[in-house]
Amino acid sequence: MALAGMRDALSLPAWVVGLGLIGVGSLARDVGYPVEVAVLSTMLVWAGPSQVIFFASIATGAAWSAIAIAIGFASLRFLPMTVAILPLLKRPGQSVWMELLLAHYVAVTAWTEGLRRLPAVPPPQRVAYFLGFANTCMATSSIGTFLGYYLIGALPIPFAAGLMCLTPIFFLASLSAGLRHRGDVAAILLGLALAPVCDRFIGGGFDLIVAGLIAGTIAFALRPKKAAP
Amino acid sequence: MTPAITQPIAWLDGPFWPYLALLLFAVLPTEIWRWLAVAFSRRLDANSPALEWVRAVATALLAGIVAKLIISPPGALAAVPLALRVAALAVTLAIMLVDRRRVMLAVLAGEATLIAGAWWILRV
Repeated sequence: MALAGMRDALSLPAWVVGLGLIGVGSLARDVGYPVEVAVLSTMLVWAGPSQVIFFASIATGAAWSAIAIAIGFASLRFLPMTVAILPLLKRPGQSVWMELLLAHYVAVTAWTEGLRRLPAVPPPQRVAYFLGFANTCMATSSIGTFLGYYLIGALPIPFAAGLMCLTPIFFLASLSAGLRHRGDVAAILLGLALAPVCDRFIGGGFDLIVAGLIAGTIAFALRPKKAAP
Repeated sequence: MTPAITQPIAWLDGPFWPYLALLLFAVLPTEIWRWLAVAFSRRLDANSPALEWVRAVATALLAGIVAKLIISPPGALAAVPLALRVAALAVTLAIMLVDRRRVMLAVLAGEATLIAGAWWILRV
C-alpha cells in the first residue's frame, strides 16, 4: 500500500513540491547557510512558506523574534489542518508517537491530496499509504532543495528567475485551490494588497504579521454565515 | 546595496549556529502546531469559529508572503521587471479563479509568462 502512495505521489504532486522547493535551496545559499541546513529545513520544517520566511527574512536582516513569530503565524494553519486529517489516519491502539510522526507530514500537498484520496483507501492501510505518499514528496523536495542550492546560480537569468518565481506562483495556486467561499477570496486578495502597504510602514519584520491579522480578520468577518443546523 | 543579513545571537554563535537557528526559529514555530493538533485533536472542532479565524489569518498571511516575494524578490527574480512579475502572478490567479482544479495549468501558465517575458526583455 505504501507503493500505491508512492505511485500516486509520483503521478504529479511530488514533482510540483520538488520543483517548488528549488527556490528554498537558492535562498539558503544567498544568506550563506550550508547546504545541509537547506536540505534539513525541507525534512524537519516541511513547510515551504516557513522555509521561505526563514531564509528570506534573514536576508533582509529581520529580528529573530520577528522571524519566529511570522513563521508561527504562517504555520497556525497546521493546527486546523492536522485536526482535520488525523481522524482519517487514526487506528485503535495507535501510539502517540505514530500520531506525532503522521502530523509532521501535514503540509499543503500531503494534506489536500490526503483528504481527497484517503477516504478511498481501506482504513487499515491508510497509514502505510499516507507515509508512502508523503515520504515520496519529501524525497523529491529534498533533492529539489539540494539542486536549487547549487544550480540556480549556473542557470541563464530567465530560468533562474522562473524557478525562484515558482514558490510564490505555487503558493498562490495552492491557496486558491482551497477556496471555499468569499471569505477565503477576501483573505487572499486583502493579504496580497496589504502586505506591501505594511511593508512600507511597519519595520522590524513585523509587517507580515500585522498584514495577516488585519486582512484575515476582515476576511473572517466577511465569511458567509453557516446555515442554521 | 543589499541590507545586512540577520546576525547570529552572540552567546549562541558558533559553527552550528545555522542548525540551531533553523531548529529554534523555523522548526519549532512550525512543528508546535502539528504537536498541539495531536494533543487536542479529540477536543477541537475543525469547524469552530476560532479555527475559522485562524485559517483566514493564515491564508492572508500566505498571500502576504506571495506579495512580498513578488514586490521585493530574492535572488535572480530581482533581475526581472516588477510589471512582469505581477503579470505572471495575475495569470496564475486568473486561471485559478476561473477553475480552481487547474493547479498545474495555472502554475505552468504563470511560469511561461515569466520566463518568456524575461527572455524577451533581457535578450538585448
